[in-house]
Amino acid sequence: MLILSIDSSTESASCAILEENRLLGEISFNYKKQHSVILMTMVDNLLKNLALTITDIDGFVISKGPGSFTGLRIGIATVKGLSQGTGKPFLGVSSLDALAYNMAFTSGIVCPIIDALRGNVYTALYKFNGAKLEKISDYLLISIDELLILLKEKEETCTFIGDAVHIFKDKLVEALPGVQFAPVHLNLARASALGELGLSSLALGNHDDINTFAPLYLRKCQAEREYDKKMELLKNV
Amino acid sequence: MKITTESVEETKLIGQKLGALVNSGDIICLTGDLGTGKTHFVKGFAKGLKIEDSITSPTFTIVNEYQGRLKLNHFDVYRVSDPDEIEAIGFDEYIFSSAVSIIEWSNYIEELIPEESLRINIVKVPEKGDNYREIEISYTGERYNYAKEINLC
Repeated sequence: MLILSIDSSTESASCAILEENRLLGEISFNYKKQHSVILMTMVDNLLKNLALTITDIDGFVISKGPGSFTGLRIGIATVKGLSQGTGKPFLGVSSLDALAYNMAFTSGIVCPIIDALRGNVYTALYKFNGAKLEKISDYLLISIDELLILLKEKEETCTFIGDAVHIFKDKLVEALPGVQFAPVHLNLARASALGELGLSSLALGNHDDINTFAPLYLRKCQAEREYDKKMELLKNV
Repeated sequence: MKITTESVEETKLIGQKLGALVNSGDIICLTGDLGTGKTHFVKGFAKGLKIEDSITSPTFTIVNEYQGRLKLNHFDVYRVSDPDEIEAIGFDEYIFSSAVSIIEWSNYIEELIPEESLRINIVKVPEKGDNYREIEISYTGERYNYAKEINLC
């Protein structure tokens, strides 16, 4: 089963073609969000360099979020179009799952953090049972301070990955003894990791529906925003 | 600070001067009643940013994007009935990007506007003439200190 996987939910634009036991090719750019400009060219190049055409692809995997609203819409619209045009199924996988999966076999808690602006992150907590990724929290949109409180309670070694790491690194080092960070070469949302997670599910016949599938936008409700604003104003007094 | 203008051209000129001074990531809030010249102000602002496209009000599209010496996001949130609605288009990604954002009717989405921003309020003074305007400029954050340089000369 040949899968085309796309992740455009963060700063990184990434696409990969893979089958059960092999990653055939992957292109990633982790520089200035410009997904709407480069994504289709990347897919085209990937297919050409592998001497494939889009009709050779048996299914698609796409990052469903949470993450950049614009990025998610670009990726999902692209994959819905490809899926409809080729009549092949697609499946959405969380970008947080894929980021955590980059850190396979890590002991303790794996915590992907995606920048959600205004001091917030998109996150979830994971553990590895051998190579198997297990999610141990909901998908969350919380402030970095709230996340730190949550993690301190766990009293376990924590490994961070994601585009918010460079923003909060000092804070994390200070707050969590023994904290670890993904090495630079692994610290990006990669379509290969996303595709690998999606492939096994697609192979079992699972897929999403083109008409009902929507991105997972985690958003704060109005009351939460007003509360944040109030706290921000108090801080400035 | 307050600047008075006596014609559409003068209002545009103030916009242009501001447009020439703004930096990457700046957030400009623009308020004033209907017909005070907010969109004219933005036209001047775009000229100051060396944008050559003609500026139209994004009342229905909510945001228009332009490329000049910096990227410009021009918002008009007049038709937005609920801040949630504009947050859902990824508002934060626009205003916290490297582009300059100018937001007409920003008072409708006050809770989404960061404290550190530059605010322009245009006021009509009918007794002083149809085209007489007072342009009030205020800001929070040192990054906007350049606003002091703006004048009609």
